[in-house]
Amino acid sequence: MLEDWLQQIEEASSLEALEAARVRLLGKKGELTQKLKQLGKLPPEARREEGRRLNEAKRALEAAILTRREALKREALGARLAQEALDVTLPGLAFPPGNTHVLTQVLAELVGIFQRMGYQAVLGPEAEEAFYNFDALNIPEHHPARDMHDTFWLTTTPKTSQIEGAKLLRTHTSPIQVRYMSQHTPPFKIVAPGKVFRHEATDATHEAMFHQLEGLVVGDNITMADLKGALLAMARALYGPEAKVNFRPSYFPFVEPGVEFEVWWTNPKTGKGTWLELGGAGMVHPEVFRAVDELRRAKGLAPIYTGKTGFAFGLGVERIAMLRYPIPDIRAFFQNRIPFLTQFRGGA
Amino acid sequence: MRVPYSWLKEFLVEMPKPEALEAALARLGLPVEEVVRVGRPPAGVVFAVVEAAEPIPGTELKRLILNAGREVVVVSGAPNAVAGVGVAWAQPGTELPGGTAIDRRVIQGHTSEGMALSPAEMGVGDYAGGLLTLPKDTLPPGTPLAEVWADEIVFDVEVTPNRADALSILGVARDLAAALGIGLIHKNPTPDLRDLPFPIPVEVWDESGADRYLVAYARHVKVGPAPLEAQKRLLAAGQRPINNVVDATNYVLLEFGNPLHAFDRATLFDGLVVRRAQAGERLVTLDGIERTLTPEDLLITAKKGDSTIPVAIAGVMGGANSEVGESTREVILEAAHFDPISIRKTARRLGLSTEASYRFERGVDPNLPPLAARRFLELIQRWGGAEVSANWIDLGGEKPRHRVQFRPSYANRLLGTTLGKNEQLEALHKLGIEIRGEAEPYTALIPSWRIDLRIEEDLVEEVARIVGYDKIPETLPEFFPAPDNQGAEAEYQAEARIKRVLSGLGFQEVINYPWISEGFLETVKAPPPTLWLANPTNAEESALRSALYPGLLRNLLTNRDQPALLIFELGHVFLRDEAVHLAALQSGPYHRPTWQAGFGEGYYALKGVLEAFAARLGARVEVHPERYPHLHPGISGTVVWEGEARGWIGVLHPEIAEPLELGTPVIFELTLPLPQGSPDITDVPRFPPATRDLAVVVPRTVTHLEVAEVIRTSSGPHLRALEVFDVYQGQPLAEDEKSLAYHLTFQAPDRTLTDEAVDGYMARIIEALTQRGWRIRG
Repeated sequence: MLEDWLQQIEEASSLEALEAARVRLLGKKGELTQKLKQLGKLPPEARREEGRRLNEAKRALEAAILTRREALKREALGARLAQEALDVTLPGLAFPPGNTHVLTQVLAELVGIFQRMGYQAVLGPEAEEAFYNFDALNIPEHHPARDMHDTFWLTTTPKTSQIEGAKLLRTHTSPIQVRYMSQHTPPFKIVAPGKVFRHEATDATHEAMFHQLEGLVVGDNITMADLKGALLAMARALYGPEAKVNFRPSYFPFVEPGVEFEVWWTNPKTGKGTWLELGGAGMVHPEVFRAVDELRRAKGLAPIYTGKTGFAFGLGVERIAMLRYPIPDIRAFFQNRIPFLTQFRGGA
Repeated sequence: MRVPYSWLKEFLVEMPKPEALEAALARLGLPVEEVVRVGRPPAGVVFAVVEAAEPIPGTELKRLILNAGREVVVVSGAPNAVAGVGVAWAQPGTELPGGTAIDRRVIQGHTSEGMALSPAEMGVGDYAGGLLTLPKDTLPPGTPLAEVWADEIVFDVEVTPNRADALSILGVARDLAAALGIGLIHKNPTPDLRDLPFPIPVEVWDESGADRYLVAYARHVKVGPAPLEAQKRLLAAGQRPINNVVDATNYVLLEFGNPLHAFDRATLFDGLVVRRAQAGERLVTLDGIERTLTPEDLLITAKKGDSTIPVAIAGVMGGANSEVGESTREVILEAAHFDPISIRKTARRLGLSTEASYRFERGVDPNLPPLAARRFLELIQRWGGAEVSANWIDLGGEKPRHRVQFRPSYANRLLGTTLGKNEQLEALHKLGIEIRGEAEPYTALIPSWRIDLRIEEDLVEEVARIVGYDKIPETLPEFFPAPDNQGAEAEYQAEARIKRVLSGLGFQEVINYPWISEGFLETVKAPPPTLWLANPTNAEESALRSALYPGLLRNLLTNRDQPALLIFELGHVFLRDEAVHLAALQSGPYHRPTWQAGFGEGYYALKGVLEAFAARLGARVEVHPERYPHLHPGISGTVVWEGEARGWIGVLHPEIAEPLELGTPVIFELTLPLPQGSPDITDVPRFPPATRDLAVVVPRTVTHLEVAEVIRTSSGPHLRALEVFDVYQGQPLAEDEKSLAYHLTFQAPDRTLTDEAVDGYMARIIEALTQRGWRIRG
């Protein structure tokens, strides 16, 4: 009889069937329960014997139910987990990765290099007055140096025949030098990133809009050696410990002496080194300090720049980006094609 | 500046090899842009003399009978094919540098045996407008020209505007001699001068325009081709040979840097006057164009009775009426020094940049005219058999040398070097700078050709240039910035942060040009522009942008192939004042479809981005319903950032979007700087919150913001959070009603709020809501 009962438990194929078997055997009206209830009808001798047997059977059944229940639970969990299994190789929810423009990244890196040397990054307007863009930078009207700047002139009346006027799109970031000095006291170190504009037909290497980083340090005894040091620090941060800086005489009316600076750069693909012309630099021209002091006087500020020394530099950002990545055509920067822009991930 | 190697060699005692020359020039700040190798004429090209030139009736052509060792007949259309000159004749079978094979051929029915060549056809110059013509006794006819025509290396040197002194062979040689320590050969022209009276009076009426005016005289000039050697040089330097007189002026210009002008004496009548033009005066210049003049222009005029007739625009270009030609017998040579600004203004206004104006506007050595004139007279005597006069007129005369203070200690202070005094003075001396004085400060006497050396810093540069910039060490400045520089980079930091945050929220940054088509601005109903490019490269794109979103819409157009677009731009816009804006555009779902459907689209997606963006910057942002011409009137509003209206957000108006097939992009645009947020920082509450739900039925036109405002102001002190969890329209509500359901969280910092207390707050809220005529649902 016990054999038969145990078999019923073993054969229960689900938790529900097991429960049904338990009720059938051990429930209030279950077979074993019925038998236990009927014990009183037996003679005392037989009652004791039968009682012991039935209680043993009950314990055995309860143990078997417990074991079977655990087994069935494990099976059910296994089945559920198998049911829940996913193809973990399928792509996840498509979060947009987002990205800054590659030129923002390169500029941020350059600015960061100088910020770590204590420079502050300052900004200026793009529609600039000819005074700041030229005159105050020792490029007076009718000076041949203006030919070096193909200028977009601005007008408040469209389709005017008047070309040269008071306002223009800045041709370099250097006007920020004058704007900054007219409002701040030396010594200081600043860099000024920004867009500049040249009236130029565009092709693969020429753009009418590009980005520059300007640097200016003014103090009591700033030297050209300090300029070389600043540019060497930048070159090393950009191109590694082997980088070198070289000066070649050149002419920018707002510095004297004026140089072009080259950086020794090893092409990571070919392993070959070459001098790269990165920009112009020099010692702030006394005429610029004079113009700044005049401006300060007009604003009611003390003229404090005459007799100071300082250095300035300017470099093109697109060039650096184009060397770092294979970007063969400068026009790609401002066409804003998503497949182009989204490639440059992982930058600053 | 094109510098032929062989010409430069005439000025240097010891000539460096071409490769060494290139490097030396770069170190001097005269970088070589290009090295051009000019080859010799091809084999088969021989010297020939034009015996006769007969026009062929009914054509522009001439039949030339040449003596090329034997008589040959060629046909030529060149204007300068005249009898009595030597030419370069390509025999049949010659292959020209361009690859053309010369053959016996028939031109308009006339047989030509081979061809007479222009310099360009020979590959020895750029000039293609006429034949190379030479004196007829240059060589025995039939001599191959390659035998007397050596290869030439030409250095195209980039000369910055300050280095006018280097715009000549002599100038380049002078710098090289100083830098390399090589001797400079000084040319001393020795024309055979005769005591001929100067034939006409010369007057300068405007000395500010011409502070030195020297004129020389030559007669019995035989005008014809210049010698072969001279023409080779001129061609290699990029000049076009004309005749021996004009070529002599150009030769001296290139050699010494002083522009010269030769007049046919006969065209000057009774005298020469230098004066300003009268308004509206006209002159046909050598290029055949009639120029209208203004009182700014300096003129050379011929005196005729009481009038003065313009014959040249001073320092820019001569007049066709005074040109030296075949019939010229007497020549008046002008070697002058003109005011750079005056020349530049005239040249710019006329759009006429010549070799002369280019040099005069940069500055010519004012003491050069006597040497230049002597050299011209020597050449014209040698090339044209002229008698040259020892008498010349030099108005204005020699100019004194400039004096500039120089302190070697200052040079070291500026350069950061420890160069010795003698080393510095020696460097200056090499450049022809004379030093006066025994100790600092010295006086430097500047040579007249260095018009760029006017202040002490200029001399410091010269020291560095000659000593070498590699002598400058590398140091880093150490100082404490002046206090008023503190905080100067706030604007940069704010912009950099905005770019980082918005790109971190999934948006791609774009950079557009500031110029855009005014028509497009109008189409997308952007504010009208206030600034335009006066000289756009593309007339269609001449307005400066008044907002960023038109650019983003264009980006949407160029990226139509993308399933979704999330872009932003931070840039300058040009309204009444220049301002910095930030704009973002979303088109399509935020989460693009993969094997799962895409989602996160429409107004609430971008508004969520705006809210997350503001939250990330620690600022509170709200949108207040408002209409904008370019936005969907029912889905648009003002962005209120920390209580200030800073821009707008909404769906592009279908009237704009549909014709352009732009879909339904959502855009926001804000004006920077965005007010700084000031988040409330409090302890994390230790006492449990009590939450209640509340649904309010309001007319559809009532906004969530209005309901929330009523709840907040009536809720008592402990409402910690208010969240919308359901918005419902439809049955059983009336047509014009909606239900807004809120989770309200109450929490006190110092105690657990009792049910009674929260019930009290709720009662007050409900009372305030019902007072507005709204009802509570459920």
